[in-house]
Amino acid sequence: MILRAPANAIDPRMRTYWTVQALTATAVLGALVATATTIAAVLGAATAAWAVGLGGGLGFVIVGVSSLVAVRLAYRHFRYEVTEHGLYVARGRFWRRQQIVPHARLQTVDTTAGPLLRAFGLVAVQVSTASAAGGISIPGLRRPVADELVTELARRAELEEGT
Amino acid sequence: MSGQELGGRLHPLAVLLIARRFVGMSLLPAAALLLSAGTKVLVPLLVTALLVGVPLAVLSWSRFRYRVAGGRLELHSGVVGRKVRTIPLDRLRGVDLTASFLHRLLGLVRVEVEAAAGGGSRAELSLAAVSQSDAERLREALLGRARGVEEEEPGPRRLYRASPGLLALGGITSMRYLLAPAAIVGFVFNLADDLPGDIAGRAADAAAERAPTDPVLIGLLAAGAILAVVLVAAAGSLLVDWDFTLEDDGERLTASRGLLTRRLVQLDRDRIRGADVRDTPLRRPFGIAAVTAIAPGLRGRTGGTTLAPVTHAAAAAALLRSVDPLAPDPRAPLAPHPPAARTRRLVRTLPLALLSVVAATVAMVPWAIAAAALLTASAVVLALDRYRQLGHGFDGRRLALRGGSLLRRWSELDPGAAVAFELRSSPGQRRAGLCTLTLHLGQGAGSRRALDLGEEQAAELVARLEPRILAPLVASREAGRGPG
Repeated sequence: MILRAPANAIDPRMRTYWTVQALTATAVLGALVATATTIAAVLGAATAAWAVGLGGGLGFVIVGVSSLVAVRLAYRHFRYEVTEHGLYVARGRFWRRQQIVPHARLQTVDTTAGPLLRAFGLVAVQVSTASAAGGISIPGLRRPVADELVTELARRAELEEGT
Repeated sequence: MSGQELGGRLHPLAVLLIARRFVGMSLLPAAALLLSAGTKVLVPLLVTALLVGVPLAVLSWSRFRYRVAGGRLELHSGVVGRKVRTIPLDRLRGVDLTASFLHRLLGLVRVEVEAAAGGGSRAELSLAAVSQSDAERLREALLGRARGVEEEEPGPRRLYRASPGLLALGGITSMRYLLAPAAIVGFVFNLADDLPGDIAGRAADAAAERAPTDPVLIGLLAAGAILAVVLVAAAGSLLVDWDFTLEDDGERLTASRGLLTRRLVQLDRDRIRGADVRDTPLRRPFGIAAVTAIAPGLRGRTGGTTLAPVTHAAAAAALLRSVDPLAPDPRAPLAPHPPAARTRRLVRTLPLALLSVVAATVAMVPWAIAAAALLTASAVVLALDRYRQLGHGFDGRRLALRGGSLLRRWSELDPGAAVAFELRSSPGQRRAGLCTLTLHLGQGAGSRRALDLGEEQAAELVARLEPRILAPLVASREAGRGPG
């Protein structure tokens, strides 16, 4: 560990949000496997039906379980913090990524919320810099927390402007 | 604000250039018509095109005016709809003068005005052709505001001038042409598709019939091809960078280059936040390298920030110091990265190479086995060199980074120019105690990274790099030792 972990976690509801997303994707996969198996069975290709059904079913279970685990890990390891001089975000359990954007370098702060995210009462905060690769996105915060974060970032960016 | 006022229109001969643009647009359809329908259709068509095109060009010339007044540059244009573009002079990033071969025959210059539009995106205006003297006056009026009185005093200082021999050597050793064969093949195939009457097919058949079978002849042909590539590379470098001259007037660097098309590019000195020195394995024995400035905010146009296309190492160091007084010497030793980084480079290249050896052995094709073995050997050599080139150094003001092998890049930069810092580690890196530190510069200047730093090195470097911003974030184990 080179840098300490940032102080704040994102909203716990993000776990449910991501789980819904992951389950939807898994359900689509399951439906595809079921359709393919049915078609093979109807056409009388018993071996193919078994192969598709078993292979697809196994894939379905693996994808489902691993995406549920991935959601838990992504939630637990996404942390952010507004420090005195910068915004600090860490993410990822295996492929770890820590980004720091100095307040003086901040260009825009956007809050966005898709329909599903809004249904959870959450918004996403996007921070952009002059570099496309240097942007930061915090995926799920409650509206008041996000508003507070945006105000704080704007205030600090203004303070740092002269330095 | 000196309040200089200036106005005018393009040089009358610009009509020719405007008309040429129309011709250029209609050239391909016209050629297609000529091939398919013959001259009977083409002649009336050409006459119509001339009757419409020339007045249109004249009209578009007469409607185009530029004006510098009240701290603004205005461009009026438009044949059907009128358009006025206005740019405040304090938004100007630079004024470039270019002269294509045709421009130079007519004694004209193309003026490109580069401006920072709101929100960080860039707008660009261009004046297709003005006379040399108009261009000079326009540039003075556009940029003169910042120059003030001292401008008259000392003449510009020459920092670099390319000699033809060095340019030719630079072209031959650039190794960029290694990428060219694929492009040429693609181009030829595209062209062949467009040619009528299966000319390409017949040519290929004819070539296949006469294809040499004699190994000596094949060898000679290959040697000839290599020689041709080398000559083309040298000629290309000479053409583009002929008489490359870099001058310094204290505030701005002015680079001019090109044999047929002469380009003049200006770069504000205080935009320069660092520099890159690039070379290749072919260049290293000669001790030559290319030097480019790191100048965020300057449009990433090819060669726009070039300080020297080819120069000797000692001259490169001197050039760097005169452009960025804090720049470290590119030849100075850098801190090597831990041996685990070498293992990682090998681990990442070897599997694919060894797989090819296994595949070739299983297939039992002798020449494939030899090729795969050669591939593996060169992968190992490359991986070892990629590790040997890795290095970093920080003297408190400038960060120096080195990496790459076939295209080696040494960079020095002011960490304050970074718009974001990033630390990454994959599971494999963490097992080996490594991580990668990236500084994002943005605004067209890209990112610079230190690949596979040791964790201890990274913690120390991060704490010293930006003591205010990064040091407080360093985990307590390292912070306990005190930063730096």
